[in-house]
Amino acid sequence: MNVIETSELGKRYRRRWALRDCTLTIPGGHIVALVGPNGAGKTTLLTMAVGLTRPTAGTLTVLGGEPPGSPGALDHIGFVAQDAPLYRSLPVSDMLHLARNLNRRWDQQRAEDRLGQLEIPLRQKVGELSGGQKAQLALTIALARRPALLVLDEPLAALDPVAREDFLASVVAAADDDGISVVLSSHVLADLERVCTFLVVLARGQVRVSGPVRELLATHGAGLEEIALRHLRAGVPSSSRTEAGQ
Amino acid sequence: MTARTLAPGAGGDVAAIGRRPVPWSKLAWVTLRQRRGLLIGGGILLGVFAVYMVIMAVLQDNAYAAVAACHPAATLKCQQLANSFTRSYWGGGAGPVIASGGAQTVSSLLFAIPVLLGAFAGAPLLARELESGTFRFAWTQGAGRSRWTVSTLAVPAVVLVAATGAFTGIFYWYFRPFIADGQVSEMLPLGFALLGVAFAAWTLLAYSVAAFLGTLFRRTVPAMAVTLVVYIALAMATATAFRPHYAAPVTVRGWNNGAVWVISQWVKAPDGQVLNQPAVNNLAQHLPASVQNSSSPDAFTNWLTQHGYTLWQSVQPNSRFWQFQLTEGAWLLAVSSLLIAATVWLVRRRGA
Repeated sequence: MNVIETSELGKRYRRRWALRDCTLTIPGGHIVALVGPNGAGKTTLLTMAVGLTRPTAGTLTVLGGEPPGSPGALDHIGFVAQDAPLYRSLPVSDMLHLARNLNRRWDQQRAEDRLGQLEIPLRQKVGELSGGQKAQLALTIALARRPALLVLDEPLAALDPVAREDFLASVVAAADDDGISVVLSSHVLADLERVCTFLVVLARGQVRVSGPVRELLATHGAGLEEIALRHLRAGVPSSSRTEAGQ
Repeated sequence: MTARTLAPGAGGDVAAIGRRPVPWSKLAWVTLRQRRGLLIGGGILLGVFAVYMVIMAVLQDNAYAAVAACHPAATLKCQQLANSFTRSYWGGGAGPVIASGGAQTVSSLLFAIPVLLGAFAGAPLLARELESGTFRFAWTQGAGRSRWTVSTLAVPAVVLVAATGAFTGIFYWYFRPFIADGQVSEMLPLGFALLGVAFAAWTLLAYSVAAFLGTLFRRTVPAMAVTLVVYIALAMATATAFRPHYAAPVTVRGWNNGAVWVISQWVKAPDGQVLNQPAVNNLAQHLPASVQNSSSPDAFTNWLTQHGYTLWQSVQPNSRFWQFQLTEGAWLLAVSSLLIAATVWLVRRRGA
């Protein structure tokens, strides 16, 4: 099952195309790194995948053919937007209760266990949590929904190095335990290099590279950072699908 | 591939949860929890007024009992008693400290409650989510954005209408002596706005305007400000231009027709010519000095009738109070519903 599949996908904000002619297939079972410079269209692609924005052109389906934003898609995609927006004035326990009442699938035990391990007090207000704790709370809520696909938009941008390590470890553990697919975006490939098994490089609204990390490494004979940089400089769209004959 | 075969091993028991959406009761919990601050703030505002008005209603009823019991009402003693009651409780000044300002001042404060409640409750509903980015959380949960939006808009609307509707009940008690005395006339703007269904209906309108503008502007404070302007303009236009036309006015003879809402009045000359207001004023200035200098307020009208002039009024009688209330309530409800539907539509079509 492909968790995200796009065909000539485009999104225009007024005059500017944030994403254009984006044809991309992301198979399930991967930890996908979506990287590219600021303004490359990463957030645009992800917000369309979770149904927050509609495409201007082309098609996009998630989880093997579901339209984004449909009940079937919403039920199975856990999304954490950039800066992990949550209700700051609510205590953590009420934030959980609220998320529980907004979803048909909810694993309260799991959410409380995770927060216990992370030593995030349930009575604390969300607005009083540290950046790392807030990101972990947002991840906890997304995981408590028992999604098939976890979408995280720039989850590391606001975190200090230790919190980054912890957060990534949590994501990898969740992906291993539940067998869920994960898509993370970042403008720094180095952040995700060690954990990702699938790489998508976006620049100026277009896909430059996409493919499983193992195949990319074998085909290009270079490190991931090197491959990404080479394609960003060259500006030539490329896909392992054609090159590796997948 | 269908949704039923999704993500093996991901706990994807789609069949178990079926296609039934998240129930409204759970969404209502979410909305009430998110709006707890508003509920407390609005409750305190209404509560303070309610306690004050109940206390005053008891005091007024006691004081007014003496006025009502005084017979015959035309005697000087009874007149003085009635005047003293009015000064103390309506006009302010001589009464107990708690009544300072009097019901007249309190009523004009009450005028502002619908727009204050409506703007503070309605404007942040979606604007705050859009300002803070939390809509990205709310709209990507399993309930879906349409159901979340309907609940977010409908639950506070029901609470507001129920609270302001109940509040109207206290007005009837508080204003009873003033309605009996004629200080408050049901058909005049003050009485009309506070009695019947108007108070709740105007609150709902302010709320809907604020919610719509908040979603349109994506900003809370500008939405509140523009709501205030729109509300005042519409309320004034309604009282002066729309409301007089809910039913054709009745033409009655004489200028003293008791408890009615006078839309216009004129004089008909003995030759059948209708004199407009400037003509009447002109006539008044050319009367004999004995009439012009008379201390009796009826001197002018008495002179007119003695000389073959007839006085006419176009009025809306008080008996039409409920007809007018329901007319106004109905169109306010219709406009509010349209605005709330338009807000849902804005949310549905909005991109991130």
